[in-house]
Amino acid sequence: MPPTPTSKPKRIEDRDSPLIRSIQAGDADGFYALVRRYQQPLFNFGLRMCGHAADAEDMVQDTFLNVFRYLQDFRFESQFKNWLYRIAASTCIKRRRRSQYAPEPELSLDDFLPGDENAVAGETPPWAREPLERVLDQELAEKLQEAIVALPEKYRLVLVLRDLEGFSTEAAAQILNLTPTNVKVRLHRARLFVRDQLKDYFRHDRPAPAA
Amino acid sequence: MTDPHRPPEPHHAHCRELFARLSEYLDRELDEIQCREIEGHLNACPPCQACFETLERTVALCRQMPSRPVSGDFARRLREAVARMGAAAGAGRTS
Repeated sequence: MPPTPTSKPKRIEDRDSPLIRSIQAGDADGFYALVRRYQQPLFNFGLRMCGHAADAEDMVQDTFLNVFRYLQDFRFESQFKNWLYRIAASTCIKRRRRSQYAPEPELSLDDFLPGDENAVAGETPPWAREPLERVLDQELAEKLQEAIVALPEKYRLVLVLRDLEGFSTEAAAQILNLTPTNVKVRLHRARLFVRDQLKDYFRHDRPAPAA
Repeated sequence: MTDPHRPPEPHHAHCRELFARLSEYLDRELDEIQCREIEGHLNACPPCQACFETLERTVALCRQMPSRPVSGDFARRLREAVARMGAAAGAGRTS
């Protein structure tokens, strides 16, 4: 029987690869450059996940601590950014587990169905029709942030990675160790949850726009 | 009395099935046949159309969420933490 060829994992080159190789080779200052490159996006990721700047800062610091510990083991088998966010996501999950033990609720698609069709006007409300820049103000940004933080964590992680950080379905699946199908299911439910929160806000709290 | 000119009500059992795929439709992750099926349904079903448009707007709002800058104080603390990690690693190698 002929020997089975062993396939070496493909090495992925991206914009971070030269810097990572330099740090792995002993460039101590390189790590500061890596921190400068990612402190801003990671802080905002932490802010979306935790809701508070102090918690987000702790998450960023813990993430870089873990990156510092394990960077020598990084083998360029994924994009560095995906590997970094995998550590950040896992840091968020560990921090939550330390602070609360209640099981996370599941979101069911049926909770978001249009429901009794006779009770639904079937008209697109103004907040979905007006120009985006007219709708998104500071107050709505805060409401949106509250809605995101109110999501159960496993849904929040997917929504933040996909719709706020801009990762693809495949990258989010790799970061969270999920199947792409699972990412899509969670993302859809998370979006519907946030949409329902916004609907309630526009129905009850938002003043009608001036004519 | 029902309006004879009104198009027939769409089959709402179908709504749930299509509703489950609205995000994939929005993200252009469905094939052409599935897209046409959803578009046909949306055109015939005002509640699903409204649902789709509010979902689309929700995603657009998420994508436009303003980001917040890292404070100078936190950036300094982070640099100090990295310096401590480096010093600890260096001490570990020489001990």
